[in-house]
Parts: sequence; structure tokens; C-alpha cells
Amino acid sequence: MSIAGLGPHGERAVPADQIQLSETDAINARARRFSVAVVLHTTTSDWSKQELAGIAATLGLHSAALVEVVDCNFDVDLQIAALARLARRPVDAVISIPIGNARVAAAHSALTQSGCKLVLLDNAPTGMLPGADYASVVSTDNFGLGQSCASMLSAHIPANGAAGILGYGIDFFATHEREIAFRKWMATHRPDVTLVRERFAELEGAGPAALAMVDKTPGLSGIFAVWDVPAMKAVRALAEQGIDIPITTVDLGNEVALDMARHGMIKGVGAQLPYDQGSAAARVTLAALLGLPVPPWVALAGREVTPGDVIEAYQVIWHLPAPRAIIDSVQTMASAKTSDATQ
Amino acid sequence: MQPARDGFVAEEKTAQRSVGRPRSVEAAQASLALLLNLVRTGTATTRQELERRSELGRAVVADRLATMIDLGLLKEGELGQATGGRAPRQMQFRQDAGSLLVSVIDQSSIALGIADLNGQMLVEHHEAAQLDAGPEAILDRLATIFDWLLKETEKPAPWGIGLALPGPIEKPVSDFEAVPVLQTVQSWQDFPFLERMSMRFGVPVFARSGVQTMTMGEAKAGGGRGLSDMIYVKLGRSISAGLISEGHLHRGAQGAAGMIGHSRVGEDLLEAVVGADAIAREGMIAAEDGRSPYLAQAWARQGELSVVDIGHAAQLGDLFCVDLLGRCGRLVGEALAPLTNLVNPALIVIGGVVSESGGDSLLAGIREAVYRQSHPMVSRDLQIIRSQMGASSGLVGAAQVVVEELFAPTILQGWVGQGTPLRHPDFQKSREHVAATLASRAAPPAERVAP
Repeated sequence: MSIAGLGPHGERAVPADQIQLSETDAINARARRFSVAVVLHTTTSDWSKQELAGIAATLGLHSAALVEVVDCNFDVDLQIAALARLARRPVDAVISIPIGNARVAAAHSALTQSGCKLVLLDNAPTGMLPGADYASVVSTDNFGLGQSCASMLSAHIPANGAAGILGYGIDFFATHEREIAFRKWMATHRPDVTLVRERFAELEGAGPAALAMVDKTPGLSGIFAVWDVPAMKAVRALAEQGIDIPITTVDLGNEVALDMARHGMIKGVGAQLPYDQGSAAARVTLAALLGLPVPPWVALAGREVTPGDVIEAYQVIWHLPAPRAIIDSVQTMASAKTSDATQ
Repeated sequence: MQPARDGFVAEEKTAQRSVGRPRSVEAAQASLALLLNLVRTGTATTRQELERRSELGRAVVADRLATMIDLGLLKEGELGQATGGRAPRQMQFRQDAGSLLVSVIDQSSIALGIADLNGQMLVEHHEAAQLDAGPEAILDRLATIFDWLLKETEKPAPWGIGLALPGPIEKPVSDFEAVPVLQTVQSWQDFPFLERMSMRFGVPVFARSGVQTMTMGEAKAGGGRGLSDMIYVKLGRSISAGLISEGHLHRGAQGAAGMIGHSRVGEDLLEAVVGADAIAREGMIAAEDGRSPYLAQAWARQGELSVVDIGHAAQLGDLFCVDLLGRCGRLVGEALAPLTNLVNPALIVIGGVVSESGGDSLLAGIREAVYRQSHPMVSRDLQIIRSQMGASSGLVGAAQVVVEELFAPTILQGWVGQGTPLRHPDFQKSREHVAATLASRAAPPAERVAP
């Protein structure tokens, strides 16, 4: 996938693989033994674990110590307090994913003003500027992910059918971009499709929202959920009611991967590559700490995953072999298909 | 005492009693507007300060503030600094009483945002778009995304739209009058873009050229914050400049100030030599004839080259690209030097895709030429920096344009008593006029489509 979106200030993307440290830069970085802290919305999700793995491994390769990982548990106030505390600590750089939009901007800017290098993941809060307030934003191409999900779902929507969007009811840049891109792709390529939408503010609301959408829209032929966790909440809620409907979503979480392997409701995924994103964020951080010019927006293209290549995609995305249950399911489905074909 | 003399004294007394009191609706509107702007700009926020700065009496100030609290324009805020006695209550402007929709339309992208009534950006979105898709497609896209953003982010209803367009915008002859998009957007001639936008959202539209809004954005929130004299230069496919002089944007007689891309470099126009397309063309020639191995590889890989590739090659030490960008920088600097000598700015900000990609080589070339050709006093404290705001400068500037227009004393007096500029009599008339014009053209309204 190429990069379709623009950066938080309309920047053209610099692909993450173009950010590389030269041999001399690497020697300098190792000699200076930087210390870095990471502030995440949560540390428990599959995405966060891989993001952290990418950051830690790349920093470690360059003798930079990951001295603290803060889990904000989706709490804006917790993030503000953590950033204020880190501004007083002798860390050279912080890699942070802003949780809210405007509410966390001042705390992030203050961190930069304290002399710390700041690299943001996913987005810059509105009003923050590269250079003055942060060094760079390292993000997946969320716009591209939304387009992918629309294109994969489109195959399941009949002419003049209806598709639903399970949207996030919180002001969050990444999910906004995905939804805008999904809608734009549908309006351009499938103007015959009617779009409906339900929102959830809490994860537990995703299942009821999906059910409400199905209830309100007879003939709903597919759903796009803005990330994998609410997508699986929707899958469970719909399955309990005996409803089977094609769903596309973002990120190849374990549950989503297993559902795809079993040829469940999840028909396609636009996946981020969190390990690679973490590694890129670490390289950008090191470059900024060495005083090298860093682009304001570094982006990674997502990867489309279908039930046919879920095992290979799993390896690429998670840098791990797929779990046994996924492999077994894929093989079971494949042999069932073969036996169907021979009968 | 003669009767005639008595009459004269009575008249004089009446005149004295009227000092500081509204003698008409107009005077009341003027005092409301004055007080609102004092609070809004933070010049005076307590009742005592407001009385002193406005030279209005205590009762008048109390009455006007109460009126504006009722209208939802002001609210009572926190306690201020006590100067002996009780700490005074500070008045606050309700910047959330409405919202401003802002957009920057460029050759290959559109940017949209929602700002509060102080011009502070609350949300923004950027996406690729082709101007040659035509005005109808761009209008649909803007309307669709604005609808979605307003609903999704639950922002208050809009009070105005600020638009930045790729080309000079003629000054309107009167307030709230939409102006035609000028010749620079050729396929848009005669298309009632601003009128349609205004009718679609039911708010006034204020348009400026992209470079003028970017200049205002840089002055408000970028490198030019707090400076009264600065130049912004946009280096993209076209080249233009904006000027803030003594705190005000200079628009020129027709609104077309700043078209420095039309300066001559030998036989060519400046933008035909150092514009983004011209640089990309030079790069392709160098890729072909082997002068730049990096560009040759990039071209083979991608099948095309842009100024971004040339900037990246320069950063990686490709000598041809370093030299090309340095040369382009010097040519831009030579065009800027006379302007610098003329206006004596404190700061020159370089923005646009060529600046974002051009790196240090380009900036060094600009500095070299400007410093060499400027008077020592002019260049003594002059700073030349690269913009950090990207396309956001245009959004911030467009919001600032709307704020300055809506709260200009002459316009503010026309609506402050109604609580919203949408009830300004001139705007109401303008809407009726535009509706009639559009009906006579039988132009279909912009339809809503999915964002």
C-alpha cells in the first residue's frame, strides 16, 4: 500500500524506511548513551506491546536506555501528570501518543520547553507545531487504512445496498481519518451504497451500537469498525443474536486474526505495523537527539490482510509465528474446502 | 436674561447631560462593540478597567455588560487582582458562542478546520485533492467534510467561513459581499463558489489568497508571533509573498499584493525557474543524463520525480541536488532583497512545498543573497527561517481573517445588539441578493455526499 493521507499540518509523508542512521550517526548515538521514556495510552493491547518492542529493540541497538514506560490507561489527566513529571526528570527524549486532542497539548509543549526531545505517535494535538513543540510525528497512514477497509468491504455490498460504520464517539485523529477515508472511498467508487453510522464512546458500547445499526437498517450488508477491539465486540454481540454480517476493520489483533482464520464475520483488515512504527519512532528520536534534521511527519503504509493470507500477515505484522489456534483453523478451513471440491 | 440666551443655555445643559450616554441606538451599539472588543482582546476585563478604557460611565458599562451576558457574548469569569477592597470579577468573551469554518484550497490539496471565535484551531483535516477536478467537486467535498466535522466534534454552529484560494482575491466593494474568484483559477471563472458556500452554510464568507492567509497564520501562531513587520514567502508550484507591515496585512490596491513569482530571472519568470515543477524538471534531466545517481535510482523506482525527492537527495549528500537547491535559494533571495530593503522586516518566513523539501541548501542560498544585497541596517537583526506550520498556517490565517472582519468595529456595531453576525442587516440583504442571483443562474445547490 502507498501512503494516501497527509500529515497533521498537511505535510507529504516521508516513508519510515527513509529514516536511517548512518554508521557515523550510530557511533555517535552509542557514545552518548541517551535515555528515553515512552508514554502510551495503554500498555496492555497487542498494538502497544509490539510498538514498545520495536522502540526498545531499536533504542537498545544504539545503546539508548528505555528508562520508563508510562501506561496512561486512556486517562487524559494521568497523561498530563506523567508528562509534567517527566519534564522534571533527566530523560533526553520522550515518545508519546497524545490521548486527547487540545487537552494534552500544553503538557506536551511544556515537555519540549523543558529541553526534552518529543516524538509523537499517531498525531499532533491541534495547535502544536513541529520544531517548536515537538520533533516529529510517526504514524501509520490512517487515511490509507480507511480506504483499504472500504475497498475490501465493497466486495460484500450488493448494488444499492447499505453499509454501516461503527465509529468512535471521541475526538481522536486516527479514527476520524479512517472514517473520513472510508466515506470518501465509498462516495467515489460506490455512490450506490447508503452509509449509516452508529457511534460508541466506551468499548462496551460497540456491541449494542452494532446491533442498533442492524435493527435500524434492514438489508445492512456490511460494517466497517474503526479498530479491531470494537469490531470483535460487535462480532460477539451479532453472533449472539444469530446475525452474520461481513465486517472489515483496522489492526490484526489476535481475536480478529482467529476470526478471519475461521472464516468468521471479519472479511478484511487494514493492519498497522506497530513493531515497525516503534522502530521508526526510535530512529527518529535518535536522529533528533543527535541534532539531525527530522521530517515533521514520518508515515508507514498499512498492510491489507484477507482470510487467505492471515498466517503470513501475522508474521509480518507481529514479528512472531501465528498462534497454533490460527494455523489450525486455517488448515481446517483449507481441508474442508478441498474435501468440498472433491465431492 | 434674554429669552434667546435662555434657550441657548438650556441646549448647552442638555448637551452636557448627554455626555457618555447613548443618544441613539447607534451610540448604544458603538458602546457595546467597544466593550466587547476590549474584553475579547484582553485589553480590559474588569468593570473598573472597562470604565477607564472606554470612558463610559459605571451605569452604562453595567448595562452593556448585562446586555451582552444575556446575548451570550460574555460571561463572568474568575476573580481578578484586588487593588484594595474586594477582588473584581473578570469578564470573559464566550469564544464558544459560535465557530468559524476555515479552508485552504491549493493546487493539489485541501485543508479544513474549525476554529473558535478567537481564531484558535479546534480541529483540522488535510487531504489530497486536485484543483482541476473543478469547483463543483471541491465545493461538494468542503461542504461534506464541514458537515461531518461539525456533527462529529459537536462544535457550535458557524458564524463565518474563511477561505484561502490559490490566487489573488479582489477586494469587495462593501462588507459581506462575496467576490468572484479571479483569473488565476481559470476553470472557476464565473462559478459562484463563494456565494454557494455562503448559502450552503448560511454564513458570510471571507476569502483571501493562500499566501495572504499563510502570512497571517505565521504572524499569529508561527515564527512571526509578536512581530509587527514580517514577510512570508510561499515557494510551491507558484511563488508569492505576503507582507505584514506595522501589524497589518498589506493587500494592495486590488488585493493582489505579493506576486513576486512574476519577477524576471533573465528571460524567464522566477516561478518558471524555481517553482516546484521547474525544480522537478531539472531533477529529471539530471537523472537522465547521469549527473545525479540518486535521482536516477529514484526515477527508476517510482517512475516520476518531485521536489520532495530532490530535497531528500540533497539531505543524503547528492551534489547535484545540493547545488540545484542552493542556486534556487539564491534566485529567490535576489528577488526578496529589494523587498527587504523596501519594508525592513524583522523576519522572513519561507514556506511551501519547496521550502519544506529544500532543506538547508535552499535556506542558505536565500540567506546568502538577501544578506549580501540588503542595507546593513536592514539586515542587522533580520531573521530568515523556514516555516514550521505547513498548511496549518493558512487555516490559522483564514480564521484570523474572519475574526478581524466580524469584530471590526464598523461591522461589529451592526450586529452586536443582535448577539450574532448572522443577523447583521447588511448580511441579511447580501443573502437575499445572492439567493436571487443564484436563482436567476439556476445553479443547483451543493448536494450533500458522504465525507
